[in-house]
Amino acid sequence: MPILTRRAAMVGATAFGVLPVMRLAHAQQSRDVLRFGLSVWPPNLQPWQSVGQAAGMIKMLVGRRLVGFDAAGELRPELAREFGRDPADGAWVFRLDPRATFHNGEKLTSADVKWCIEQIAGERSTAYYRVQMQGIARIETPDAHTVRLYTKEPTATVAHWFANYNMPIISRATRDMSNPINCGPYRIASQERGSWIELQAVPNYWQPGAPKTRTIRMTLVADESLRLAALQSGDQDFIEFVPWTGMAAVEADPRFKLESTMGPFMDILFNGTRPPFDNPLVRRAVAHAVKRDDIVRVAFSGRGKPLEGMPIVEGTPWWDAELSRGHNYDPERAKALLAQAGHPNGFNTTLLTTGAFAMHKDSAEVAQQYLAAIGIQAELRVVDWSTRTSLGIRGQYDLAVHGVSADFNDPDGLTVVLDTSLSAAHGRSFGLRTPRTTELLRKGREEFDQAKRVEIYKDMQRAALEEVPIVGLAWREQGYAFTRRVTGFNILPGSLALSSGVNLEFVSLG
Amino acid sequence: MLYVAKRLAVSLLLIWVVATVVFMTLHMVPGDPAEVLLSTGGTSPDPYAVAELREKLGLDRPLLVQYAEFLERLTRFDLGNSLVDDYPVAEEIALRLPRTLELILAGTLIAVVIALPTATYAALHAGGAFDRAASATAAVLQALPVFVLGTLLILLLAQWLRWMPAGGYVPLAQDPGRHFLLLLLPAVAVAKGLAATVFRMARASVLDQLSRDHVRTARAKGLTQGRVMRRHVVRNAMIPVTTVLGLQMGTLLGGTVLVEYVFNWPGLSTPLLRAVEGRDYPMVVGIVLVVSGLFLLINLVMDLLYAVLDPRISRS
Repeated sequence: MPILTRRAAMVGATAFGVLPVMRLAHAQQSRDVLRFGLSVWPPNLQPWQSVGQAAGMIKMLVGRRLVGFDAAGELRPELAREFGRDPADGAWVFRLDPRATFHNGEKLTSADVKWCIEQIAGERSTAYYRVQMQGIARIETPDAHTVRLYTKEPTATVAHWFANYNMPIISRATRDMSNPINCGPYRIASQERGSWIELQAVPNYWQPGAPKTRTIRMTLVADESLRLAALQSGDQDFIEFVPWTGMAAVEADPRFKLESTMGPFMDILFNGTRPPFDNPLVRRAVAHAVKRDDIVRVAFSGRGKPLEGMPIVEGTPWWDAELSRGHNYDPERAKALLAQAGHPNGFNTTLLTTGAFAMHKDSAEVAQQYLAAIGIQAELRVVDWSTRTSLGIRGQYDLAVHGVSADFNDPDGLTVVLDTSLSAAHGRSFGLRTPRTTELLRKGREEFDQAKRVEIYKDMQRAALEEVPIVGLAWREQGYAFTRRVTGFNILPGSLALSSGVNLEFVSLG
Repeated sequence: MLYVAKRLAVSLLLIWVVATVVFMTLHMVPGDPAEVLLSTGGTSPDPYAVAELREKLGLDRPLLVQYAEFLERLTRFDLGNSLVDDYPVAEEIALRLPRTLELILAGTLIAVVIALPTATYAALHAGGAFDRAASATAAVLQALPVFVLGTLLILLLAQWLRWMPAGGYVPLAQDPGRHFLLLLLPAVAVAKGLAATVFRMARASVLDQLSRDHVRTARAKGLTQGRVMRRHVVRNAMIPVTTVLGLQMGTLLGGTVLVEYVFNWPGLSTPLLRAVEGRDYPMVVGIVLVVSGLFLLINLVMDLLYAVLDPRISRS
């Protein structure tokens, strides 16, 4: 009998071919390179335009803001080593770190900060914080490292503005906004549009010891299942936007760690320019009609929390247990409110949502069923994201489901969602009148005494529960997952969750 | 010569029609590029900022003015720049088109290598166990959605067995081994439907040839089975198969979207999808034009080839 049969030879040859392939299956892991799975590609990296959290994360890593957020979500120094309000004249004072240096070797000065604010506030600006910067009446730069800001209206949250990821301070020598001169711990080493981007640590960075990892290679893995698979198969060290369906698997696997928090939320918006949703009684009926537990279960695989009041983060001074249940599920009350509003038999309407994100569509489908149970027959209009945006801004809808996050954890960060006196936007109810809510938001913004602010914002919640600028549906869990090799990362709490990418600069690889 | 000139003129006319239809359709569907860009991530942009961006992008001008400018640029083979980040559309296509073509070619190769011998063997043993099993497998493969197969492959080979990477791309010049490894699963997914189609077509064609008189004559002359198959059956059976293969490859130019998405293969489909979502007009029109142009080119070449092979076509 021959020692080497044809079958044995074929098996051997196959193994000979397959084994090297299996060795190649996973890219070499290095302690110097953090491989990060991006959920979306940043459309552009213009410093002050708001084009999503992916762009925001990169802007925070290559740039610096005047202030940032610590692990508890409190403001912390970044370029400004001291900041606060001068009680003498009401100016907001930022004292800059004299070590701060731009990537071109120039030192940061107060003139750069002044120039940035002026550019953002400019007539031809497309910046996210344009309106806020236009609210600054005067900028003084008494020395190279001090900036004094005088706002037109007293504003308690000015420092929060400068912590937003759309507010990096860049050099006034910048000529091309697509390629700004930054002063962050990383710089963009190379990229392929729509595929990957590589950040390299700035040599001899002005903040000693930062950043911890030399290279961050971000690869676009848009499909959430594939992103999770890429982590589990060892292709990526770190992923963002962990799918809710996969969170339990990540937690159960000793190789990985999940960092998550309740931050962004889902809500229902109204078109208040015509009946029936111009009537607050009808809006309250909608608020009491929807059983949020089912949205959490269906849309978020249980990885969320019912939102039955205004979206105030639990555990903050502004949160109140009773107010947080102000729009609790109560179908009988909902029917009574409908009858009181003159619709005892309900009515037909439309519910706008997008198919681009399953959470929007799923939340809308559940809401539709519960609205039908009290007599509101809502025809679902599922459109792509661009159409959803366009119809929302133009008020071409009756009801709409939306998902969003506050700008920051202070209730003033909810102004963009709750203040219906602001310009038309797809993320706010359209043409609605909620004067008490708007007034209390303004009052809270202008008050500096913390105890008084707490009371004002509780009053604001009471007013909003009656005027119903939005109907909260569910908090959703926002998660990052990474291998146990990764240390030093913390997710930021509440609405800051989407800004947590900045903490990649503290990450080390074991 | 007149025939060639006519075909070229028709192709150019078709290109213009495609360009116009895509341009006009895109501008008519709801969604404004400036609004969409500044609303990324769900934020609510300042309407003045939106208006400013719209003006900067030239979207505030009348549609016909924009169309005229677009046509003028097209005559200079200038596809314009992305509205999102000002990146040249032509550069994006030049980078990504070869990857899509590579995926299609690899998928076609796998499909042909598997389907042709299987179909020939199945036809030779028509009605037997192998034929029934192969035909059933082909039917299942044809019915199986590509994203289901893709997800199953990733689950099994990447997540459970950890034999393969979950997806992605490495340039050939950087790491040839890993490049082909990353190409393997998406190519298999592309090959799935094509292999089933080729199998069915080839099996039917071989069966048809086997029943022809010239094959019976060849056998009666005493030719060996192998010689009969090679010279008289397979060669003739391949003519309709080749036609179908050509058409299918053309269809795949726009049909790899799901495969590229599931396996994170950075071909032409991903930027096309992203551009449609973001209403990035120049990018969408540029990519559609190039794909349509390639399709027309394939058709033109085929028409010209037919004319060479059969002069009656050009005369008619």
